[in-house]
Amino acid sequence: MRRMIFVAAALLALSGGGTLAAAQILRVPPILRVGPRGVPPLPITIEGLQADMVAKSGSDTVYFAGSGYGLDAAAQATLAAQARWLLANPEVRARIEGHADERSPRDYALAIGERRASAVHDYLVLLGVPAEQLTTISWGKERPAVAGTSDMALALNRRASTVLMR
Amino acid sequence: MTIKIYFGAVLLALLPTVATAQDKPATVVAVPPLATPENVSTSAGDTGLIARYVADVITSDLRTSREIMPIGPQNARVYSYPEATAPSFSQWRTTGAKTLVTGFVQARSDGRLTVACYVHDIPGAREIARKGFVVTPAEWRRAAHRCSDAVYAQLTGRPGSFDTQIAYVAESGTRNARVKRIAVMDSDGTSHRYLTAGEATVLTPRLSPNGDRLAYVSYAGGQPHVRVVDLSSNEDRPLLPGNAMSFAPRFSADGNRILFAMAVGGNTDVYAANVDGSALQRLTSSPGIDTAPSFSPDGSKIVFESDRSGSEQLYVMNADGSDPRRISFGGARYASPEWSPDGDRITFTRIAGSGLSIGVISPSGSGERVLTQSVGDEGPSWAANSRELLFQRSDASGRTGLAVVSVDGGAPRPIATPQDGSDPDWSAGGAK
Repeated sequence: MRRMIFVAAALLALSGGGTLAAAQILRVPPILRVGPRGVPPLPITIEGLQADMVAKSGSDTVYFAGSGYGLDAAAQATLAAQARWLLANPEVRARIEGHADERSPRDYALAIGERRASAVHDYLVLLGVPAEQLTTISWGKERPAVAGTSDMALALNRRASTVLMR
Repeated sequence: MTIKIYFGAVLLALLPTVATAQDKPATVVAVPPLATPENVSTSAGDTGLIARYVADVITSDLRTSREIMPIGPQNARVYSYPEATAPSFSQWRTTGAKTLVTGFVQARSDGRLTVACYVHDIPGAREIARKGFVVTPAEWRRAAHRCSDAVYAQLTGRPGSFDTQIAYVAESGTRNARVKRIAVMDSDGTSHRYLTAGEATVLTPRLSPNGDRLAYVSYAGGQPHVRVVDLSSNEDRPLLPGNAMSFAPRFSADGNRILFAMAVGGNTDVYAANVDGSALQRLTSSPGIDTAPSFSPDGSKIVFESDRSGSEQLYVMNADGSDPRRISFGGARYASPEWSPDGDRITFTRIAGSGLSIGVISPSGSGERVLTQSVGDEGPSWAANSRELLFQRSDASGRTGLAVVSVDGGAPRPIATPQDGSDPDWSAGGAK
């Protein structure tokens, strides 16, 4: 829905007599990143952008305790760095994906994943990232990062990841 | 019993109350082969052969119940067609059986079959129930299940659950890239079919009480949302318009309303709507997570799961959302409740340090009992007889399967599925 509005606005701008290339107006990846003088612009894949955000933010994922959704100091530091990256790359959209561990029954896992994704979304918006740049989804316990039911595996699956989108 | 011995020490240490199998003696029922007035060839075999198969199915159905001990057709004397309605009781008294099931399979001129069964009390030398069904030859198995239901209902006073359907999620692929499909089968494992193709992740299928519809959760198009399939036309549509995240659907006992959860901005609440999405009603408004709603059979109450107290617990409220009261106080977390068809109990998933298990509690919160102990047992669903629970059992490696446990406890019985299975739902009645 948001994307449709965005594209519609861009098309309006284009039909309004713009001479810019459609790709520049639409501002959706893959985009061209201009290098030093004399080096031709490089297409940047979404995977390349994700790697760049991880390198500059420390991680694309934050973790949660128990059945909680509070952001501890480590999570806040990671998200502050992610926010800086997203503000520097306003043409890239991000989907916040919330997850639960396998100790949560199915329906509660869906709800707690949504609550975690929303907590991250709201914190990024608080730090100035435009809400239009972000979407959220809950995967419940459908996409565990780590197999197993050890305490370590459960802790690594209670998470929210910032996934860059085309 | 095996489980009790094996886990006895652990259970004593950890659990408030552990259910064990009741030792009330089962009623012995003789199920000789049914008769046929004339052996006629049909598309499903000769009527004499079908008559034998019907007795086999009735025997294997009744063997799964705790209350009845069948003596199958291989051990019983063969009787003639007239004896189906007028058995020689003196001949049956020597078998030790208290109850006798007879019947016949007869070819009709229109190509269909009449399957009739009679339930007799042997000591009293009298007929106590009879049922007759007209079915296509291919449907003889369902007629047999209905005979089993008639026997079970007559001997226990509860509806049978043999002519019923099971919906579940069939799982394949690797652990982190599971392919999930909605599957439906008859409760004996036959007539297995898939309703979705596996492109989108799907969860929690729920059959309507008369088996004509199925509600489930799909990630098709992005956000997880409740969809409703008409099982006769296969028409499949979202319950609600828009892009909101909705999940945990469950039908009302009359099949007209669907309870579900909807999440908006980090807050999940319980809602109800008609099956076509109209008359949407919000029923909870707490800042916590309110999910997994289930109606009482008379529709006057709703049990649901909420973490408004700080951890997941069970609450009962009126159908309009008023007067929510917490009913679970057993010192653990409680989830995914479902109200029994007879209204007397609520089943739940119990989350404690040792893992997930299945239990039951009364609607007032008394009489909590834990029925299973494993790595991960969750998502229980009642049988129509309110005596058994179908649930998902996960092992330590993450493999999932279906199992049934009696409300009296005892060892769970696995339910075979072609692939791994999760999120089972047991219908109240057979396919339409």
